[in-house]
Amino acid sequence: MWRLLHVIAIGALVASAVYVYSLKYQTIYDSEQIVKTRHLIAREHDAINMLRAEYAFLTRPDRLQALADKQLDMQPLSLHQIVKASDLPEPVAKIDSIGRKLESLGLGGPTATPNAGVTGATPSTR
Amino acid sequence: MHASMVSLITKIVACARILGSPSRRVLARRSSDAPKRSFSWKISFSWSGLKTFAHDLVRTRLDKSGGRIRLLMVGLCLAYCGIAVRLVQLGVSHDPPLTLKVAADQAASGARPDLLDRNGEILATDVKTMSVFAEPRRIIDKDEAVELITAVLPDVDAKELRERLGSKKGFVWVKRQVTAKEQQEIFHLGLPGVGFFPENKRVYPNGPVGAHVIGFVDKDNIGIAGMERYLDNQSLTDPHVAGFSVDPASLKPVRLSLDLRATHALRDELAAGLTRFRAKASAGAIMDVTTGEVIAAESLPDFDPNDPGDMKDPALINRLTVGVYEMGSTFKALTLAMVLDSGKANLGSRVDARENLRYGRFTIHDLHATHRILSLPEVFTHSSNIGSARLALMVGVAGHQAFLKKAGQLDRMRTELPESAAPLIPKPWGELNTMTIAFGQGLNVAPLQAMMAVAGLLNGGNLMTPTFLIRSPAEALANSHRFVSEQTSESMRYLLRANATHGSADKANVPGYYAGGKTGTAQKNFHGHYSNDRVFTTFMAIVPADKPKYLYMTIYDDPQGLPEDGGYHYAAYNAGRVAGQLIERVEPLLGVAPAQEFPTQPFPLLARLGYGFDADKVAKE
Repeated sequence: MWRLLHVIAIGALVASAVYVYSLKYQTIYDSEQIVKTRHLIAREHDAINMLRAEYAFLTRPDRLQALADKQLDMQPLSLHQIVKASDLPEPVAKIDSIGRKLESLGLGGPTATPNAGVTGATPSTR
Repeated sequence: MHASMVSLITKIVACARILGSPSRRVLARRSSDAPKRSFSWKISFSWSGLKTFAHDLVRTRLDKSGGRIRLLMVGLCLAYCGIAVRLVQLGVSHDPPLTLKVAADQAASGARPDLLDRNGEILATDVKTMSVFAEPRRIIDKDEAVELITAVLPDVDAKELRERLGSKKGFVWVKRQVTAKEQQEIFHLGLPGVGFFPENKRVYPNGPVGAHVIGFVDKDNIGIAGMERYLDNQSLTDPHVAGFSVDPASLKPVRLSLDLRATHALRDELAAGLTRFRAKASAGAIMDVTTGEVIAAESLPDFDPNDPGDMKDPALINRLTVGVYEMGSTFKALTLAMVLDSGKANLGSRVDARENLRYGRFTIHDLHATHRILSLPEVFTHSSNIGSARLALMVGVAGHQAFLKKAGQLDRMRTELPESAAPLIPKPWGELNTMTIAFGQGLNVAPLQAMMAVAGLLNGGNLMTPTFLIRSPAEALANSHRFVSEQTSESMRYLLRANATHGSADKANVPGYYAGGKTGTAQKNFHGHYSNDRVFTTFMAIVPADKPKYLYMTIYDDPQGLPEDGGYHYAAYNAGRVAGQLIERVEPLLGVAPAQEFPTQPFPLLARLGYGFDADKVAKE
């Protein structure tokens, strides 16, 4: 009885030791991974910062102005180019040009749809 | 001390004796108690002696305590002396032994928060760069190292580098902020004791745009001028507090009130005018009068904060805050506001400007003399010196001084910018001074200071100290004080608008914007004499005049007249023209579209008082 208990106790001891050590090594590994990831994040941050600075440098107003003057044919906005919404002309009524065409051809009337009872694909009556 | 040592030794000897054999005294007592004891007694006797000794050792006996206490005192004194000596040693030693990491951290430039404009555009930011350092103690052949390094880095002075490597320091910089290519080459030299350390380098992507406001930093990323210096003074950045390096992620970006695009436009227009009018210098600013925020500020000539070079050159000062100037006729706005606010005159008052005003041996005359009685608005639109002087005299010297004090013109104006200058106030200040200051000669103020007063006159009468940081209207109002009434403020807006439609400020009357303005041409003072052909011109414009929002100021120092302008160098031809172009260019950038129609009731208070005319229709009598 006692012997069995001893064996169990020793077994539990060994198992817990193994578990604790594995836990410890896992923790060390994970913390190393965290440090590595942090370094990567810091590097990415630095890279982002660098790119932001570069973007700001490339989009600085005097550079854009020089480029726009050279490449684009733009002119400053002037007062006569601005109109209020109420100054716009009223929209013209929509024109149904196809309908008109049909009407002018005299096809405006109701069409004679072939009767379902009549056989054949072509209408029998003229 | 020596005596106590001796007593200590004697005690130890005595203890040893007691342990070895019973002390004579105890022995005597015991033997008198039991004179015929056997050997077995002797054993137990020596055992009890041991006990007595142990007992004696822990027992406090007053007759023996004195010596022990002294011993303890001496011992403690010695210990404390030792600590004190070590502390002094550490304190006075100049070169404490440092680990490489600490040394590099302390020498490397710390992180700074980004500076952004009001729309979030980057004005200044940090980028990581590599710097080359050396540990002289670990370099084997210093001459060879110098030779190799200077071959790769030709801009490093060989002689100076040899000197630095010869020092006894554990850490010296070889070159700060090298390029990636240089780093590779240094690395391939394979020199022991030479390494790299990442550093923060401050970059200003916009170059000289806004440089006077932004300022710059030195090699160690410490703010030297402008807002950079302000940040350090606010200890928002304390680069090396107790050797801790600041975590860049913990630094929040600081948002300035500047608008990058507006500032660029301002600089562009000012610079174009500077060459066109062959002026010595120029400056300009745009201010939000409802908050006192400076939207744009420039002073030319300027510098590139990425490479500030020698900033000792007096031409590079910030003319908005450090230079003090006689502001010329723009000061008439203050004079008229003072008279209107005092109630001694109103918009309908008339002033005699028929003859030049004599005061002792001095004569005040008008630039564009009208030789007639002027109405108060005409004094402003014709920019009459005589009229302004007469109006100021109505208020008197004391009243004039009190008003200018209230308007913040007699004290040094302090903004966030560390650079500032006190106004030059005439002493003594007599009636003649009041007369000349009324039209802007004789009192030197910083242009931004004058702008502050004019902004206050226009925004409803609240004087707000200009700021270079974001501020809300409510916050600005809480920190302001009223110095003229609402009605006076409206009268001033009316006068400025009238001046744009019928006066000297017609260049500011940009179609689509209900602008008002005032010119100012001050004669420059050389050795106490006013020069006729050297002038300092200013222009202030408010857009829109009915609901004031942006105040524009342009300044030219010693502009030359153009042949197409008839050779005139007055403010309207240079500063005024540039201000007009600025309004046209900057207003859309600030989100204000030109309007087809003007407000129907721009000045309601004046209309209620019976001045029912629109500023656009002021009769030109």
